[in-house]
Amino acid sequence: MQDMLRRYGGTLTGAFFLLTAFWLLALIILPNITLFESSFRLYLPVTEIGGPRDVYTLANYQKFINNPVDTTIFGMTFQMPIHMKTFFNTVLFSAVVTLITFVVAYPLAYYLAKVVSPASLPTLILLLFIPLWVSEALRAFAWYIILTFNGPLNSLLVAIGLLEKPIRWQNGVFTPYDAIVIGLVYTYVLFMLFPIYGSIQSLDRNQIEASEDLGAKWWQTHLRVILPHAKPGIASGSVMVFMLSAGSLLVPTVLPSTSSNWFTQTIQVLMLESQDWNSGAAYSFLYILLCSVVVALVMWLFKVKLSDIAK
Amino acid sequence: MKRIIAPVSRRTFLKTTAAGVGVLAAPAIISHKALASSGEVNFTGWAGYPKLAEVVFPAFEKATGIKVNFTELPDQDAMFAQAKVAAEAGGIDVIEPTIDRWGGWNANGLLQPLDESKLAMDNYLPGLADGSAGERSRADGKLFYVPSNWGTEALVANEADAKLSSPPSLGDLFNPDNQVVVRPHSTLAAMGRYLDAQGKLPRPWIDGYTDMGAMVQLWDIALAEAIKAKGNVVQWWSGENEANAGFTANGATLGLNWDSTGYNLRNDGYKYIAPVEGAFAWHQGFVLMKNAKNIDQAHEFIKFVSTAEGAAGWATAFSSNPVGKGAAELMDPDVSAYYNGTFNDEALSKLWWWPEQTAEFISKRGEYADKYKAA
Repeated sequence: MQDMLRRYGGTLTGAFFLLTAFWLLALIILPNITLFESSFRLYLPVTEIGGPRDVYTLANYQKFINNPVDTTIFGMTFQMPIHMKTFFNTVLFSAVVTLITFVVAYPLAYYLAKVVSPASLPTLILLLFIPLWVSEALRAFAWYIILTFNGPLNSLLVAIGLLEKPIRWQNGVFTPYDAIVIGLVYTYVLFMLFPIYGSIQSLDRNQIEASEDLGAKWWQTHLRVILPHAKPGIASGSVMVFMLSAGSLLVPTVLPSTSSNWFTQTIQVLMLESQDWNSGAAYSFLYILLCSVVVALVMWLFKVKLSDIAK
Repeated sequence: MKRIIAPVSRRTFLKTTAAGVGVLAAPAIISHKALASSGEVNFTGWAGYPKLAEVVFPAFEKATGIKVNFTELPDQDAMFAQAKVAAEAGGIDVIEPTIDRWGGWNANGLLQPLDESKLAMDNYLPGLADGSAGERSRADGKLFYVPSNWGTEALVANEADAKLSSPPSLGDLFNPDNQVVVRPHSTLAAMGRYLDAQGKLPRPWIDGYTDMGAMVQLWDIALAEAIKAKGNVVQWWSGENEANAGFTANGATLGLNWDSTGYNLRNDGYKYIAPVEGAFAWHQGFVLMKNAKNIDQAHEFIKFVSTAEGAAGWATAFSSNPVGKGAAELMDPDVSAYYNGTFNDEALSKLWWWPEQTAEFISKRGEYADKYKAA
């Protein structure tokens, strides 16, 4: 603050401060407070707002545990509320996406940080960035085209004789969420790559050499020296990829199977199709809360502190 | 060597940029309202129908001098959301919902009645703005809604591969030999109407739209039957592009789709068929926002779409049917030929108009759609 005053003078500093305050307050904090408040009220016709039925209630949040349907996990069938089932599927497959992006990104990050010659590094990073210049919507749609029944993947596999007849990739070979997982991994893999790259880069090469000189095998070096050092990068990459995947609406909408449902789609249906903004708001807050709980649990499990991520 | 490019200093760069920003901001500073000749109308309607802006609005401006500020939205739910915002903030005069939905808009206090003396009610084809449709356009005797065009949701079938019963029925959508592209809530309604026609429902399907107890009873049955048949669904659609891709990219042979989908695919080996139970039909039109600023211009605009020229342009843009007398003669012969190929007098008399669906109904319908999708 002192530095800003000295550099820009009172008027400009004041203007910066006021503009930032306006941005935060009017465009972020107030809308969220309005949404939070409306999540505790019922969806009523305008004429009934302020009337006897317009009271604060938890009814919108309770909808999350209504409407049980049959659910089968590991051969056991039991009743689970439909939206809770959607939530668990979303969290599960977001975790799968996070895991796959890690498996893809870690070797690449190590290669970029420690193996490749510094001269070719800018070219490689540029090559990685080029897909980011294309909009997310187009990239998701490109996967839609690749995976469709009459699409290039099926034509290729049938033409070279690997498949006898085309497969409905979009409806899933392993799970109904295959196509969504592919789309999300493709969209968010760089959010995992760069934090890991950053943290491996700061590792002194001498430590790797010392580990090799002392007779560690390549995998022992990774497990005991490089991975622990990269942990903050992995943690922040994982939190980012998980939250972005869980919050993605575009990819699950463009690449759905006939039985997939992402929690963001449930919120969208509530907000737009059912026009019930109050329940939509309640679900949004519930979703942030539950996802934060999941992230906190996983961080506790892997002994990652918030200060590690902020490094 | 002579230097031919003047060096760009930080100062000249800042100067040029500031001037550029000034030019960009100018339209906002000089209100375009001050320049408009005979007014404007703020119209919010459906996205994806470019002929509205290319053909109809210029014709309207030429006839009346009124400029149309068009905001495109992808679906009616987005329109309702936008209208709720505009009821506070202003900015919309006329908006284009369907006949089954404006009642909910009115219950939310978004609308004001139209002034019939400023319209030309005689322009409309019989049956669209009078009779039962006319009754559904009014609340407390006041006219709130007039039609802009109408259309149907029926079977789009691959002529070579679809397995159709004779006569074609909504039940064909649930035949495992067909690969179908459908949208969840319409499919449940199609199953309900199919079962109703077969006499397999305990009470008429239409009861569900007025009585929530009946709705749960009937939709539970339709959901259970639809889940049994779900294996033949290859893709869901929610808009025109997805429906089209369901056939072309994902190889569906049959679908329950808008007429525009059938029209776009008419030269690719698909035909549009009215099922024996009757095609689903919708009716779309104009309502006036409660806080509309340009009321006279709005009425001029609505009236223009009831004239032969306006109605034909509107229907051509949507690949649907016109509402104005004499419009059919002005339509693209391709579109009229397509419609006449699907709807003879019998099919027209069997049209099943979507009943009004209350907020509570739509919310419950959403739950059934979720269960159907998850099954």
